[in-house]
Amino acid sequence: MRPENPAPAASETPPDRATWLEAVVARYERPLCQYAYRLTGNFDAARDAVQDTFLRLCRAGVLEEARTAPWLFRVCRNRCIDLLRKERPMQPLTDAQAAVLPAPGPDPAEEAGRRESASLLLRKLAELPAHQAEVIRLKFQHQMSYREIAAVTALSESNVGYLIHVGIQTLRQQAAQF
Amino acid sequence: MKPSDEVQLTAYALGEGTPAERAAVAARLRTDPAAQAAVDEIRAFAAQLATELQGEPDIGLTDDQRRRIREASARPAGRLVRFPWRRLTGFAAVAAVVTLVFGGTLWHAAKQLLDDRFAKSREASIACEMVEVDEQQLDELLAPAERPDMVDVVTPPDLDWDMAPPPQVEDFCAAPAASAVAELNVASDAISPIVMKGLAPGAMANRASRGRAASLGSYGGRWGLYSESMPPANAESYAPIQGNTFKQVANEPLSTFSIDVDTASYANIRRFLRAGQMPPPDAVRVEEMVNYFPYDYAPPKGQTPFAVHVESAACPWAPDHALVRIALKGKSLDAERRPPCNLVFLIDVSGSMDEPNKLPLVKKSIQLLARQLDARDRVTLAVYAGAAGLVLPPTPASDLATIDAAVENLRAGGSTAGGAGIRLAYDAARQSFLPDGNNRVVLCTDGDFNVGIVDSEELAGFIADRAKQGIFLTVLGFGMGNYKDDRLETLSNKGNGNYAYVDSFSEARKVLAEQAAGTLFAIAKDVKLQIEFNPAQVSSYRLVGYENRLLAKEDFNDDKKDAGELGAGHAVTAFYEVVPVGAESAPGVDPLKYQPAAKEPTAPRERANDNPEWLTVKLRYKLPQADRSEKIEVPFVGAARPFADASTDFRFAAGVATAGLMLRGDPSVMDLGFDDVAAWAAAAVGADPGGHRREFLGLLRDAAVLSP
Repeated sequence: MRPENPAPAASETPPDRATWLEAVVARYERPLCQYAYRLTGNFDAARDAVQDTFLRLCRAGVLEEARTAPWLFRVCRNRCIDLLRKERPMQPLTDAQAAVLPAPGPDPAEEAGRRESASLLLRKLAELPAHQAEVIRLKFQHQMSYREIAAVTALSESNVGYLIHVGIQTLRQQAAQF
Repeated sequence: MKPSDEVQLTAYALGEGTPAERAAVAARLRTDPAAQAAVDEIRAFAAQLATELQGEPDIGLTDDQRRRIREASARPAGRLVRFPWRRLTGFAAVAAVVTLVFGGTLWHAAKQLLDDRFAKSREASIACEMVEVDEQQLDELLAPAERPDMVDVVTPPDLDWDMAPPPQVEDFCAAPAASAVAELNVASDAISPIVMKGLAPGAMANRASRGRAASLGSYGGRWGLYSESMPPANAESYAPIQGNTFKQVANEPLSTFSIDVDTASYANIRRFLRAGQMPPPDAVRVEEMVNYFPYDYAPPKGQTPFAVHVESAACPWAPDHALVRIALKGKSLDAERRPPCNLVFLIDVSGSMDEPNKLPLVKKSIQLLARQLDARDRVTLAVYAGAAGLVLPPTPASDLATIDAAVENLRAGGSTAGGAGIRLAYDAARQSFLPDGNNRVVLCTDGDFNVGIVDSEELAGFIADRAKQGIFLTVLGFGMGNYKDDRLETLSNKGNGNYAYVDSFSEARKVLAEQAAGTLFAIAKDVKLQIEFNPAQVSSYRLVGYENRLLAKEDFNDDKKDAGELGAGHAVTAFYEVVPVGAESAPGVDPLKYQPAAKEPTAPRERANDNPEWLTVKLRYKLPQADRSEKIEVPFVGAARPFADASTDFRFAAGVATAGLMLRGDPSVMDLGFDDVAAWAAAAVGADPGGHRREFLGLLRDAAVLSP
C-alpha cells in the first residue's frame, strides 16, 4: 500500500539500489519459496507469493540489514494468506466441513509418502501443529531469532519461545522412541 | 524443574534471551549438572535438526518471475510525496467544507445514565476485553482448527506483556499537535529524512515500517501487543466493491445515494488489524468507518427531524481539490416521550456460535440492552438452530430476573436454519405488536445460515414485506470467521434496519447502550440524499464510499424506492472530493460523435451562471409510519480554507476517510502513509468521550506496521 520507503531509498543512487535488490533476491529467493511452500502447500502459489514479495520490495526501496529478513518473511506470509483466501473466496464453511478440511499446509501423510528420502525427524516435524512447525522452521531452517520470528508471525516473543520449546521436546521424545 | 525454567533453558541453549537472563541461566548451570546436560542435549538436537532441514529439497522462482523482478528493480523507487501542507495553504481557491446537520431533542436521561455508567465501567470493561484477547491469543495463526494443550503454561509470561494497557495510544495522543505538524512539513520535503523529534516512544513503532532507525525491538514488541487469532482465511465472504470514480458536473450534475448508518465494517477492520493482517479491500466500506465515530454536530431546531451541516476544506490527499462534508444529525428522543418497544431477539444458537466472542457476548449484549428499557417495553426471546423455538414469551422489560434467567439458559448446538427462525420471530413480533411502538426483531448471529431456507432473495423479500407492516430489523453480527458480511447487511437493509458488528463487550456497549436510542428508534426511514453540483463552480466530483448505496437520480423522488433508516440521535457523514472549476480535472472523454454538442463534457450545458453556490443538498425522508416523503434543501457556498483550519470533527472524519481509501487501495491516496494519517487524526481527537478515536489511532499504527 505504501509505495515507497523514505530516506534510505532516497539517498541511494539507483545502481546501488539495484545491486542491493539483486543481492537480496539471490539471498532470499529459495528460503522464501521454501517457507511459502510450507504455508500454501502448493509450488505455484508459493512462487507467486514470493514474486509478489520481491515486487513489493522493489517499491519499498532499501531496507536496513536487520530488518530485511523479517520484512520479507512477514510480507510473504501475508501474501500466502491472501492467496489462500482468494483461492476459496465464497466457500461456506460449515462446522462439519471445518472438522474434516485439512490445514492449508501440505498434508503431513502425503508429504511423508512423497518424500521417501525425508528423515524420520522431518516426517515427525511435518506432524507437529502447523504453528509449531512454522516457528521451528523459521528458527532452524532460516536461522531467525525469537524476536525476528515474533515479528514475522505476529506472535509474542515469549510465545515463540514456548512454541519452539514444546516443538523440540515433542520431536526429541518421538525421536527417542525409534 | 518448572515448565517456565525449561523454556528458559531451551532459549539459553539456542542463544536467545537478554544478557541478564543469560547470565542468570549460566550461573545456574554451574551448580546444576542436570540443567547443563539438558542444555547440551538441546544443542545437539538443534544442530541435528538444522542439518536435516538444510538438506530439504527447495525450489526457486521461474526464470520469467526472476525477469519481472529484475525489471521492477531497475525502475527508480517511487516518488516521495507526503501530505503537502505548504502547498496546501497556498491554494486559496480550494477550501470549503459542508456540514448538514439534522438535530432535535436529546434522549437526555438515558444518555446521562449511559455516560455515567460508561465512565464507571470503562476500567472493568478493559479488563473484560483483555480476557477475551487472552483466550484468543494462543490460537495458531495458520491452522485454527488445531489447538495445542499449552494454555495453562504459557499464559503467565504472555499476560504480563499482552495485558499491559497499550501506552502508545496515550503517548501518541499526548504528542503536541505542533510537533506533528512540524514533522509533516519535513515530510513534505522529498529529500530530507523524516525526523522523529518530539514524538512519543510509541510512535517509534510507526517509523519502523518506514525503515527508520527504530530497532527491531520496538516493532517486534508491537506485534506482540494484540495476539488475536488470524481469522480463517476462507470462511468469510464480502461482496466486491468498485470505488466511485470522478463524475463531470456537466454530464452528471446529480449525485444520489441512500444514507447508511451501519458501522460493522469498522469493527471488522479492527479485528483484522489487531490480528496482524490487513483487511481484504472488499471488507472496507469507507462510509461505515466514518460513521462509526460520534461527532458533535448541532441537533436540529424546531420540528424537522434532521439538521444538515455542510463544511468544506482543502482535500488532504489532493490539495488542488476540496473535500466537502455533508453531515446529517437526527433529533434525539426524550426518555419520557420515546415510544414503547416491542423487541424480539432472534438468537442463533447453532454450533458455530459456541465461542467466547459469540453466544456469551450475545447474552451480555441482551442483558445490557434490557437494562436500557423499562416497564413499557416488551422483550421476547426466540432461538434457532436445527429447530426454532420461543424461549421467552413477551415479557415486560422491568422483569429483569425472568429475562436474565432465560438468557442464561441459552446453549449453543446444532446446525443453523435462519429462515425458519426469522419467520418465528416476526410472528412473535406481530402477536405483541404495539401500534404506536417500536416493533423490531433483533437478529443476533454470526451469519452462517447454512441449513434450511438458504434462498437469500426469498428471505430478503419476506423481511422487506414485514418492514412495510411496521416491523423493522436490526442485525447484530457476532464473532470472527464464518462472517457473512454481505448477507447480514442485505438483510438489515431490506428490513429498514441497521446492522452492527459486535466483536467485544465494549462494542456491545457502544451499539446497545451508548447509542441504544439510535439503534432502536427510527426517527425517519427511506432517507435519501441528492446533491446537485453547480457547473459554474465545480467541474467534477466523486463520492467517497457509499458504493453500495448509490441510487439512480430518478429514485430520489420515487417514494417506492427503499433507502436507509435514521435512528434517534444518529448522525450520518458523507464526503465528496470536489474539483473546483479551474483546478486540473480528471481527464474528460472525447466529444460524442452522434450527440448534439450540448452533451459535450467540456462545454457548459448552458450559458455559465454566476451563482456562487457550489452545490445544493436535497434530502428526502419519511417519518417512521408515513408513506409519503418530505424534502429539505440546503444550498452551500464553498469557502477557501486550508485543511488545518477545518473543524476538529471534519479533520478527524477526513482522516478516517483517508485511511479507508488507503485500505481499499485507492490510487489517489497511495502517496500517503498510515502514520501520516495518524499524525493529523491525532491532532483532531478532541474530547473523545468513548475513547473510540484513540483506539483508531492505535489501529493506524498497526496498519502502518503491516503495510509494506
